[in-house]
Amino acid sequence: MFDFLEPLFFALFALGIIGAGAAVVLLRRITAQALLMALTFACMAGMFLLLGAETIALFQVLIYVGAITILILFGVMFTKQEERAYGLFFQKQAPLATGLAVIVALPVVILAFSFKDPATPSARGSDLIPLATSLFTDYAFPFEVASVLLLAALVGAIVLVKRDDQ
Amino acid sequence: MTVPLGAYIAVSAVLFFLGAAGVLVRRNAVVILMCVELMLNASNLALVAFARRAGQLGAGSGLDQRGSVFVVFVFVIAAAEVAVGLAIILAAYRNRPTVNVDDIHEMKG
Amino acid sequence: MPIGPFGIDPTIWAVLRLVIAVALTIFLVLNGALVQIFLERKIQAVMQDRVGPYHTGPFGLLQTFADAIKLLGKEDIRAKLTDAPFFLAAPAIVFSPMVASFVVLPFGPDFTGVNLNVGLLYLTTLGSMTVLGIVIAGWASNNKYSLMGGLRSAGQLISYEVPGILGLVTVVLYVGSLSMVDITNAQPGPLVNAFILPFAFLTYFIAALAETNRNPFDLPEAESELVAGFLTEYSGMRWGVFFLAEYGEVTVVSAIMATLWFGGWHGPGVDAVPLLGVIWFTLKTYFFVLLFMWIRATLPRLRIDQLMGFCWKVLIPLALVNILLTAVLILAFPDPRLPIAVANWALVALLVVGLPFTQRRRLLRFRTRTRESVGMRDARLAP
Repeated sequence: MFDFLEPLFFALFALGIIGAGAAVVLLRRITAQALLMALTFACMAGMFLLLGAETIALFQVLIYVGAITILILFGVMFTKQEERAYGLFFQKQAPLATGLAVIVALPVVILAFSFKDPATPSARGSDLIPLATSLFTDYAFPFEVASVLLLAALVGAIVLVKRDDQ
Repeated sequence: MTVPLGAYIAVSAVLFFLGAAGVLVRRNAVVILMCVELMLNASNLALVAFARRAGQLGAGSGLDQRGSVFVVFVFVIAAAEVAVGLAIILAAYRNRPTVNVDDIHEMKG
Repeated sequence: MPIGPFGIDPTIWAVLRLVIAVALTIFLVLNGALVQIFLERKIQAVMQDRVGPYHTGPFGLLQTFADAIKLLGKEDIRAKLTDAPFFLAAPAIVFSPMVASFVVLPFGPDFTGVNLNVGLLYLTTLGSMTVLGIVIAGWASNNKYSLMGGLRSAGQLISYEVPGILGLVTVVLYVGSLSMVDITNAQPGPLVNAFILPFAFLTYFIAALAETNRNPFDLPEAESELVAGFLTEYSGMRWGVFFLAEYGEVTVVSAIMATLWFGGWHGPGVDAVPLLGVIWFTLKTYFFVLLFMWIRATLPRLRIDQLMGFCWKVLIPLALVNILLTAVLILAFPDPRLPIAVANWALVALLVVGLPFTQRRRLLRFRTRTRESVGMRDARLAP
């Protein structure tokens, strides 16, 4: 009875992702861009829910909406934002660039549609335990490396931003 | 009525191209950072979609999560990238108060 | 045709259940806020040797209703240079995740909205979304103090999320589940998690105080320094929505503490009368709400550097040590309860004794200064 819900929500989230993503690229209002980026991430979390990856969806919201968007907003508020025309490089070649982009992007999108199988698994179950199991057994070493990377990023960010005179 | 895998991949591809275009066209360093995040997120969608497909094919456990594991690593990379990226932007901003990447083109200290 | 509960068709029941749940949540949030505002004013009054509201209704019980009506009737004021869409969206961004968190709270046996098996992750995720609303509110107000409040809030909330989540992870490690119902079921007797994992509770409690912007961590809305921070430009019901969200947030973190460390709806007589569980859960939750109020009336506000320093230099390292110890002890002992409890209580003792010890010079200076000023006052008052 509720079969129509999945395509409906998919269309909704796809519209959100592509619309908000395009707005991030095209708009000239930096706070609006940051918020629309958060909307893209939230719609992406919805996509993950449709695919049955609920843990990933929650992590997506926690990390992207709760932390990365805030960091970007921090960057926006600490710097002076001036509006200026798009870059020097594409100033004269804009039509050419658009044409090239469409020529490159179209085949990929058309190719993507050739996967006809339904994406959602028939047997639904939480992805929490399989995810955790593979993360802490098969991928334990990459996991540790990732933690070292995060530590390095933490230290690096502090060192970069710290003023010398303090 | 179910959504085919291709639809997810297509959305992912479109978002990836949007992000790439943003990185190339925009000159504001913060916006470039945002567009990189969009690209990373697009790759996440493709990874999860293919992971669910692999799980559906019944490769081993029935719920193969290898794709999702890579998404977790992408999250880590994205978080580290945005933290260090913003730190670099702020450090450069202190030297020369602009976030326009065209104005920050000489590498002399 | 299959028959659901109360003889209703299951599909209709699914929709009906949703409607009932939403209505119940709104009811709980609004009434909880009314009750909490009244309690807060009365309790602060008692602690500060005042009477508190007493004109409207018996014991001033109807004062909050009158205030709510006043808020609803106020003119909708918006300063000219505010960033309109963000200014209007910010209260909603803060309010809606709080309402959504009520879905997974286990109010009683068989009385949970959804038994998500990632329930705790869901709660932390929604909790982290409030920051976005506050930062947006601070930015959109186009006001120095609001912006400072918003930025302070972002720094504070992101920092204190870390010890808070580390405290939760310790419980998850020990119980072995992220589901709120499973965690409640894991502590049926009087030996609740608070006795075994007191340090995890302490870190979460401190982090929860910071996450809900309560004293002594209410820097984002410090009335005396930032003229209410990100709330400066808000008035009328928009301001009211922020406050509803704050009180709802306090209820949610109190409910998390009651569930994770104090057995949730478990209590005497619940097995015989399941509805009694709801009462136990409410009592435990409101115990923490009252504790928050007590702390607000007692402690002074921290400075921003003290706040961040305490989080990053004290709480996070100790919480990490706690996780490591708990994980190792779970692996090492078949029944790890006693060793974990010993380790946790030792860490609590370390924090309670060690923190004043590292600050002893400052405390001594403070004490002599207080004594001198008291002496001067006494000398002045002497006949």
